[in-house]
Order: sequence, then structure tokens, then C-alpha cells
Amino acid sequence: MKRYALVSLAMAGLLFFAGYAALFIAPDESTMHAIQRIFYFHASSGWAAMEASMIVFVANILFLAKRDLKWDWLGISAAEVSVAFWSVVLITGPIWAHPVWGVWWTWDARLTLSLVIWLLYVAYLILRTLVNDPERRAVVSAIFGVFVFLGVPLDYLSIRIWRTQHPQPVVFGSANSGLDPTMAKVFFFCSGVMTVLMILLIRQRYRLERLRHEAETLSLAADERAEGAG
Amino acid sequence: MNSARAAAIVLGKEIRAEMRTRELLQTTVVFTLIVVTLFNFAFEPTPDEARRFGAGLIWITLLFAGSLMLNPSFVREQANDTIYALRMSPASAFAIVFGKTLANLIFLGITELILLPVFSLLYNVPVLPVLGRLAFILFLGTFGLVMVGTVFSAVAAQARMRELLLPLLLLPVLIPLMFAAVEVTAGLLAESPALDRTWVSVLAAFDVIFFTASWLLCDYLLEE
Amino acid sequence: MQNFGSLFTAYLIVWAIFILYDFSIARRMSQAEKDVAQLKQKFPQT
Repeated sequence: MKRYALVSLAMAGLLFFAGYAALFIAPDESTMHAIQRIFYFHASSGWAAMEASMIVFVANILFLAKRDLKWDWLGISAAEVSVAFWSVVLITGPIWAHPVWGVWWTWDARLTLSLVIWLLYVAYLILRTLVNDPERRAVVSAIFGVFVFLGVPLDYLSIRIWRTQHPQPVVFGSANSGLDPTMAKVFFFCSGVMTVLMILLIRQRYRLERLRHEAETLSLAADERAEGAG
Repeated sequence: MNSARAAAIVLGKEIRAEMRTRELLQTTVVFTLIVVTLFNFAFEPTPDEARRFGAGLIWITLLFAGSLMLNPSFVREQANDTIYALRMSPASAFAIVFGKTLANLIFLGITELILLPVFSLLYNVPVLPVLGRLAFILFLGTFGLVMVGTVFSAVAAQARMRELLLPLLLLPVLIPLMFAAVEVTAGLLAESPALDRTWVSVLAAFDVIFFTASWLLCDYLLEE
Repeated sequence: MQNFGSLFTAYLIVWAIFILYDFSIARRMSQAEKDVAQLKQKFPQT
């Protein structure tokens, strides 16, 4: 557990530096001023979330191909972490939107996509809690996970077409259009930090899953032993 | 035994089983009629609103009806252990799943045959002028629905709380299909009907992608 | 600075989410370690 605490401290340090860069190093934005700085957390979390979702997909495919439970552990770890990051996106979005537009939520293309992807991976997490047998759980999760990831480009496409046909004022667009070079540097720095944070969290979660598997195997063996004796 | 023949046999078995009691069909059809009625009490749409939101009503009804209908389809197998018998047969896993998919497609199709005229009548939305195109869209959308739905019902069959789990898994994944289906249907039901080609492509892409995924992953789905 | 309150809230929430998640993992890990120790004790591996 000591090693765990050290990693947690490292992650806190990373978040601190990212925050410092976003809050103090990045220049002030002309229209939205302070509130615009949320962009650095919002968009970089979005990148990390997407990366984590891709890791889930790769893990799912590798599990089906190789049948090594380690890939299943990676899958659930990355899925949980991706839900955490998508949650950050979904919460910082409205906090940014409210002062600027007066509404908490807007069915803006990126926010809508984030909500849909969040729902998909939450469903993945719930599915896992409902299957008892470890091997079966791994297989069905992997299958569902593949379907989920295949749906994401279709979701992106549908929402894009939908928004093009029924346009809406873009809430977060100004951050993308022509980023000042310092802003760009801070953004890349924050994206890097979030990615590292994502990887560290996945590693922590993976260790938990490995331990859980040990407990589960022992418990099943104990049950068998009890049945044999009785 | 080749896959097509195996799928046809599974399809025949499903239909014969259902025709004996017709319990799935009658329950699903009555459910859709109830939802269509409830919609009026919930929204009281004007004829113009009915045109605009009717597409949404039709597809939401189908999505929910489908989610409820697909579970009994697989659980029935488990009750009689027929799954094991099917697996013992030389039929490939995909043949079994696809046979069931086609059966579900037919059952939902029959439901749609009743849903559509009832909707048209109750909300004064003319569907006859666009019937051909509408049928085509209904086919594309329903196919995607039952393809993914049948695969997920096999997933849910291996889990607890399967009645609630299936819609939980199915509905988010079907979001792009719903987008496309509703938009095209709304376009067809509008004052000047038009078939939106972009959305039709999205629908077709959805069907192709998930058909392929099902085909590739089926063996893992039904293994023991 | 305008809206500094909202910005600060957002930053705190980001921290909170990651801290809570990290704690959740830590708590589950200590529970799992306890379970493993308990099971190993009751049924020593031969």
C-alpha cells in the first residue's frame, strides 16, 4: 500500500502542475476571461478519456484473441478510468457553459457525444457486476466492449450530421479557433499530464483487479473444498 | 450442414414455436398500442406536431417493444436447454444467432404492420403516399435493432437482472440508429416528403458494421 | 478576474473526482488484501 500512496502523491503533483499552468501561465482570453481556463481541464480530460476508451477496445480484442485474463483486467481498469475522465468532461462542460451562456446544458456536439460515450461505458461497468462466472464475465464484457467502441464513430458521425442539419450556437468553439501559441503549449502540457494521470490510474486499478482475481480464485477453491468435505 | 441451411432451420423452429402460442406477438403488439395511446395523453400533439414528433414516437415505441420482446426469445431457449442441443449440432454459432435475428425481425415486422396504420389513424398522419420508402426505412432500422438486440440478449441471458439489463445495454448502442431512423422517417412524414440520403447511408452503415461484428464475434458468444 | 469563482469550483471538482476515485481504488484494494489474507489463513495452500 505504501507504493500505492507514493503513486497517488505523484498524481496529485501532476494535477497541481497542470492546474498551475492552466490558471497562471496561460494568457487571459479576450471574450470569456477567467472561465475560459476550464477549457484546459475540459478538453485535455476529453483526450485522456478517449485514449482510455481506445485502450478498453484493444484490451477487449486481445482478450478474445488470447484468452489471457490479464487483458480482461486491463479492460475493466481502462473502462473505469475512462468513465472517471468522461465524468470530468461532463461536469466541467456545464460549469463552463453556465456563466457564458446562462444555461447549464446545451446539446452541443461535443457535450452530447461525451454524454453518449459516458452512458455506453457506464453500461459496460454495470454489465460486469451482473455476471458471476469470471470467464463468462470476461467474454461478454469483451464482446459488449467491442460493440460499444464500434458505435463511437457512428455516434460522432450522427451527432455531427444532426448538428449540421439543426445548428445551434457553439459553446466551446472559440477555444479551438486559432489558439494563441502560449495557450497551445499549456493545452498540450495539460493533455500530457492528463494522459500520464490516466495511465497511472489504470495501473492502480489493474493491481486492484489482479488482487481481486486472487481473492475470487481462492474463494472458489474454498467453496469447492467445502463441497467436497460436506 | 452449411450455415444458410442451419439459419433457415433455426428460423423455422422459432416461427413454429411462436405460432403455437403467439404469446410473444400478442404481448408486443398490445404493448405498442398502449404506448401509442399514452403518447397522446402525454403530449396531446396538434396535427402538425404529430407529423414532426410522430417519427420519434414510432421509433421509441419500437425500441422499447424490441427490448422487451428480445429477452423472452433467448430465455425460452435456456428454460429447455435447447441452446446446448443447438450447439451440439454442426450449425455454426452465427447461423443460430442469425436464424433468431431473422425470426425477431419477422415478429417486429408484424408488429410494425399493425403499429403503422394505428398511428396513422390516431394522429391523422398520412403514410400511404410514402409507404414504400417508409417500409424500406423500417426494414433497415428494424434489422439493425434485432441484429444487435439478439446478440445482446445472448449476453444478457448469461447475467442477472436480464430484463433490465438488455435495454440498458441495447439502447445506448442503438443511438446512431435511432438518430438516423427518426430523421429519415420525420422527413418522409413531413408536408413535402423527402428521403434524406445522408441518414439512409448512416442506417445502412450501422447495419453493415454490426452485422459484421456479430458474425465475427458469435463463436465467443455461445461457447460454454 | 470575472467568474473566478466558477473556475475555482471547476478546478476543485476535477481534483475531487480524481481524489475520490483514487481513494475508492485504495479502499477496495485494502479490502481485497484482507480477503486474500483471510482465505489463505482458512485454507492454507498445500
